[in-house]
Amino acid sequence: MQKRGLLFYFNIYRKILAQDLKSKMSYRADFIISTIGMIFTNISGFISFWIIFKNFPSIKGWGYYEMLFLYGFSLIALTPVQCFFDNNWNLRNHVYSGDFIKYCFRPINIFFYYMSEVFDIKGLGQFVFGSLVLGYAWNNINLGISITIIIKLIISLITASLFMIAIMNLAASTCFWLLNSGYIMVMVFRFKDYAKYPATIFNSGFKFIFTFIIPIAFIAYYPSLVFLRPDDIPVLTWLSPLIGILFFYISYLVWMKGAKSYSGTGS
Amino acid sequence: MNTRKYLTLTRAGMIEALQFKGAIFSIIIGNLVYLIMIYFLWKAIFASVDTTTVNGMTFEDTMIYLVLASALFYFMEMYLVWEMGRDIQSGKIILDIIKPMKYPIFKFFQLSGNFIMFFFITFLPTFIVVYIVTYGAIHLDYNILFFLVSVLLGLLINYFIDFFIGTICLYTESIWGINIMKEVIVLLLSGATIPIVFFPEPLKTVVYYLPFQAIYNSPLRLLIDYSMPFSERIEILGIQLFWLIIMILVSGSFWKISLKRITINGG
Repeated sequence: MQKRGLLFYFNIYRKILAQDLKSKMSYRADFIISTIGMIFTNISGFISFWIIFKNFPSIKGWGYYEMLFLYGFSLIALTPVQCFFDNNWNLRNHVYSGDFIKYCFRPINIFFYYMSEVFDIKGLGQFVFGSLVLGYAWNNINLGISITIIIKLIISLITASLFMIAIMNLAASTCFWLLNSGYIMVMVFRFKDYAKYPATIFNSGFKFIFTFIIPIAFIAYYPSLVFLRPDDIPVLTWLSPLIGILFFYISYLVWMKGAKSYSGTGS
Repeated sequence: MNTRKYLTLTRAGMIEALQFKGAIFSIIIGNLVYLIMIYFLWKAIFASVDTTTVNGMTFEDTMIYLVLASALFYFMEMYLVWEMGRDIQSGKIILDIIKPMKYPIFKFFQLSGNFIMFFFITFLPTFIVVYIVTYGAIHLDYNILFFLVSVLLGLLINYFIDFFIGTICLYTESIWGINIMKEVIVLLLSGATIPIVFFPEPLKTVVYYLPFQAIYNSPLRLLIDYSMPFSERIEILGIQLFWLIIMILVSGSFWKISLKRITINGG
């Protein structure tokens, strides 16, 4: 197979996306209700912080607005996995029923083609809500706006999103080897809810676990230090783009290995 | 009344629940991570104040409350909305409706095996661990009796709320959206994520007038608050009974009205 440029894949993605959106639009009520449901989840997270901070002044030196910063940041960082990689959730059914074989016969990258098939619009509601929370926190912490800080923000958001995508790729790819492994995805997906807390609340053992084994501390905590604790940025924060890319690449390799070893159901 | 047909359903559900060993395992691991998370989170939260009690709750009280709430959650969560939604979309629901048993009752006994299994798999071990770890914090007395009655009432209220939401699936195809909205509202307003005593004032009063607090908050208060006078205990049970009757009436009549408009798959 000859090498194809980014533009080629971009064009294909656009075409598949248009098809997907057209089919989604025929279920307009579902789209509206799902988006409202998504925003409900986010608002409830916001209310939880509000209630806690009505009773307590801070959490281990992290104030109300700093916690909201982490929350907003994590919501935005979790948008790509929701929007672009949602088809991971269907992988288990495709593999189980044998439908997955159709992806193996396309002359383009299987991973790319599989993920491009579904674009989950309700993730956009989360993106908007996350941006509002982040903006609100940003304003109250007086971070100011400059070109450098915006570039830093974009890079750290992209980095952070890679971690959750990689976690979900790995969780989904278990279904190539374990039958009906949906419960692993459900379990792992819940971990994202813990990304909004600063890793300093843990003792060193669990901090290690949430940094290197279940790397949810990279979804909001480490990247946010660039903005919230600029005088004391750990090495891991600087390394996080590299670790993120590496982690994503590993998850991609595992996913592809599973897809390549897939032998269908025989039908 | 012939109870054998009901007990057969219960038994089938128990056997079915045992088939999903992987799922049970992941629920236990997922719950463990959640408990570690809230332990460190609330420890950090309580470390930020000088007093040991906030709103009459110590760190230990809060932990006992939240740990048992999460254990209750796993045993009360029945995925009824998902099941009803899927059966409605596939048309399979008609096979259950024409059974010689009222559909809400049939569904309840079908799920009852699950309740019993998860009571023994998740709630009881958690309770025993909490009881031993915090030896002396939970008094075992006649309050156990109140607790068990209250759990049963809470379970039934939760069931009929779920049934009401599941019936909405007859009108809309958005199972995910409807379910997530319900889940968020119930979890937050029932006090399962943050104990209701921490809620700031206008919100607290409002929440006490809603049915959701009767699901988790009522049984947990009966179990933990040892000094509660007898009359108040009876009052809590009375309020639960009140909500149960309301929910049965509302869900039952909503179901009856909705049945008339079932048109799925020509059924």
